[in-house]
Amino acid sequence: MKKAYGALAALLLTTSLSSHAFADGETIAVFTKNQTNPYFQTVRVGSDAAAKAMKAKTLHYIPTKPDSIPEQLSQIEDVVVKKPSAIVFIPVDYKAMVPGVEKINDAKIPVVNVTDRSAGGKFVAFVGADDYSLGLETGRYLLKTLGGKGSFVIIEGVKGSLTSIDRVRGFNDALKENPGAKLLASQPGNYQRLQALQVMENLMQSNTQIDGVLAANDAMAIGAIEALDGANRKAQVIGVNGTKEAIDAIKSGKLLASGDYNGFMQGCLGMMIAIRSLRNEPVITEIVLKPTVIGKENYQPYDVPLESRTCPSWDEAAKLGTK
Amino acid sequence: MREQAMVLNTNPLQRIPGVAVMLVLLCVVFGLMTPGFLTVPNISNVLVQSTILLMLALPMTLIIMTEGLDLSMGAVLTLTSLIVAIVALATGSLLLGLLAALAVGIVFGTINGWLVAVVGIPPFVATLGTLGMAQGLSLIVSDGQSVVGMPAAVRGVYSGTLGGVPLPIVLGLGSYLAFHGLLYHTRFGTYIFALGGNREALKFAGISARRLLILVYALGGAMVGLAGLLMTARMNSGHPTAGLGLEFDAIAAVAVGGTSFERGNGWLLGTLLGVVAVGVLRNGLNLLALPSSIQVASVGLLVIAALFVDGLRSRS
Amino acid sequence: MTDISNPISGRRMLLSDEMIQVFYRLLAAFLICAALTILTNSFFSVGNILNVLRQASLLFFIASGLTLVVLTGGLDLSIGANVAISACVAGTVIHQTGSPTLGVLTGIGVGGAVGMLNGVMVTALRIPSFIATYGMLWVLHGITYWYMGGETMHGFPAGFRQIGSGYFLGLPIPVYLLLVFLAIGTIFAQRTTWGQEIYAIGANPVAARLSGIPVARRLLLVYTVSGAMAGLASIIFLARLNSAEADIGESLTLPAIAAVLIGGTSLFGGLGTVFGTFVGALILTLVLNGMNLLSVNASWQPLVTGVIVILAVWLDMKTRRRAA
Repeated sequence: MKKAYGALAALLLTTSLSSHAFADGETIAVFTKNQTNPYFQTVRVGSDAAAKAMKAKTLHYIPTKPDSIPEQLSQIEDVVVKKPSAIVFIPVDYKAMVPGVEKINDAKIPVVNVTDRSAGGKFVAFVGADDYSLGLETGRYLLKTLGGKGSFVIIEGVKGSLTSIDRVRGFNDALKENPGAKLLASQPGNYQRLQALQVMENLMQSNTQIDGVLAANDAMAIGAIEALDGANRKAQVIGVNGTKEAIDAIKSGKLLASGDYNGFMQGCLGMMIAIRSLRNEPVITEIVLKPTVIGKENYQPYDVPLESRTCPSWDEAAKLGTK
Repeated sequence: MREQAMVLNTNPLQRIPGVAVMLVLLCVVFGLMTPGFLTVPNISNVLVQSTILLMLALPMTLIIMTEGLDLSMGAVLTLTSLIVAIVALATGSLLLGLLAALAVGIVFGTINGWLVAVVGIPPFVATLGTLGMAQGLSLIVSDGQSVVGMPAAVRGVYSGTLGGVPLPIVLGLGSYLAFHGLLYHTRFGTYIFALGGNREALKFAGISARRLLILVYALGGAMVGLAGLLMTARMNSGHPTAGLGLEFDAIAAVAVGGTSFERGNGWLLGTLLGVVAVGVLRNGLNLLALPSSIQVASVGLLVIAALFVDGLRSRS
Repeated sequence: MTDISNPISGRRMLLSDEMIQVFYRLLAAFLICAALTILTNSFFSVGNILNVLRQASLLFFIASGLTLVVLTGGLDLSIGANVAISACVAGTVIHQTGSPTLGVLTGIGVGGAVGMLNGVMVTALRIPSFIATYGMLWVLHGITYWYMGGETMHGFPAGFRQIGSGYFLGLPIPVYLLLVFLAIGTIFAQRTTWGQEIYAIGANPVAARLSGIPVARRLLLVYTVSGAMAGLASIIFLARLNSAEADIGESLTLPAIAAVLIGGTSLFGGLGTVFGTFVGALILTLVLNGMNLLSVNASWQPLVTGVIVILAVWLDMKTRRRAA
């Protein structure tokens, strides 16, 4: 029995010692939604890169259960005790996390809101991409490729999530702009590859002709492509996020396009603004990145490993401000 | 029963339950490692965070003592939390919201109890089915959206204080004392021990095991309704996935606390310690800012370690 | 029903009863098919039937190993997390060596090792399976998250992907694999002494021990085999999805348990068949396929599944009581 306790203590000691191995400077806590979606990894890498360049250190807080509201609330409460210099914050839910943001405000810790715009609380700045125009632009790209007509299906993300609602609204508006486009079905794939694959398999049964698929993220888009391949059918597919696998699929001609959400840039900018505000340097209070649609003609700049990408200089970043 | 088992042990070290040792160990390690851990605000913070889980784990202990299980708790918590939000939004009354949530919780608890006791469906299956129903209903009543715009009183439930003590701690402690009294000092409690350990005795005493089982599950439902109020107050909104999966955390806390899954042998104080141990572990790891993947694994390790220690004791 | 003095001979008597149970379930599946044929004209086509079979087989691959564990009166909550870690490690091996064979062996090895650890916790440490595998679930998630570092792995050799998406003689390859899993599970459970002993342990562990069955060793075997089957399943997922990610198995555990239960395997152990689990997986898949074809709102899908689980188990108990 003693041995078991000893082993546990040893585990805790060794793991905790490693966390003391950072230099002095500001400590910025970064909150992301989960450890499974590659998008949030790009945000984390971007924020780490910016912090490293500005000689600050980062601490990452990620719910152990993906997208768990109670867990992110607990993490905020714990972090407020720890008092980091500043916080870069992606709420797991933009409405339910407002009390958490207010706790951060009460503790007088400056916080920068990234990706999903929180419905309340005070922020130094917001850095994000507009999901609606992202969906709209990517949808338009697909319709332009198909000459504005054909039969389409939409694969939605998690029902009720802000990103899914806005992207799907953008998709729908892109379809409505073209009288020749017909929406066959809009079914949920919950941002999961397997679910999107099976939904697509089922939808192919009830629809003999599908010309285009609009998926609310890349994993689902690739899932839909697998389903099409399996049935020996062809359709033009678009996704959202500009992940590595999407770039590879665009390169090989399987995926038509992916709306770029630029998580790396969001991470960079969020972190730069947080540190600059601590150093009393001027900041930009609102940056909404313009949507980029990555297609066959412009994928090259994105085809580099995440680690070798660099954050923009502040002068470059300042041009992105929208307010 | 627990006391009996402990008197039999002669080695003083073995009288201390695994969960208490774990808890002390965690507190010592975190206290040494992080300056912010052993402070009044942080301890209060851990206890406040633990209340919702405690409110699920207390009735879960009783249910497990009857050789049952309630997998629907997390989903029903989500539903009752939404009900609080929707009713409070529509009527502006917190009390009506609470009453509606209690009613929904009790209905689900009663359905669970009825399925288990009268229809005779194994608890795991029955509550897996009601889990799906409650999850579906949550999506339907909320249309998959968050419910926001709560009256100011709602938030006060989570952030308010009573005589300097945060309200959730008061509610949690009150619930614990109520359950302790109920289990150890009333006839109802005696029957519950008998339900798990000795159903024949119940028959001789002329007690309907069915009615008792339904009552136990219904009580669980009522506690989930109350926890729903805290959940809504905590988020200042209702959300259609907020509580999903919490039932497994509650079961883990009960197991860490030393309640046996086979002998109808429940220990409420152990459950309390188990809930706090899970809370302390998560809080301490957050303060240390360890990589998140270690945090994911550590809860699993805590569960396995606590049961391992208890298993060693029961063998020796 | 559990008080069988000689568990093994009691088992033989129950076999015909078991067949009746499976027959009822097949009947239920046919009724759902008939209903869907009337409701939507896209259901009854060769394409869709094969489609349903392939989707059901993916669920069944996970549920079949789980059935063996449930037959002993245990439960494995870590099975989805096991699929995820096996897929991620096997994916790396295929990427680095280019050899699908090595990948398959790795997947089975990792899955089997995880299963064996579960077995050790249940037998040597005497932790209830429900709790032990719940702890294992989080340990596996933690390791997988760390290992993948928030990335996904994609792009596997075309030949390897045939396992998941290819066709042979007009039938999807997963359907053939389904027959393999079904055969392994059924022969192991119904035709070997070990299998008979597993039923006996599930029906009454004390009687099983008294009649000389090495209970701990058999349990260890069951958890290992079940884990290895999850590892094999992970390979098929890898081939089907053409990618590995840390949350690949997250959403599969509860449906797999539901398939086992709808299939008529009792959580108290000792009752049920692997074939029943296949029919359970088929029923769940048919319902989901039907809801997709009919464009049913997503909100209703968990509710419908919940009702079906309760209904299936209730009917099962009704018919069993009458038969007994």
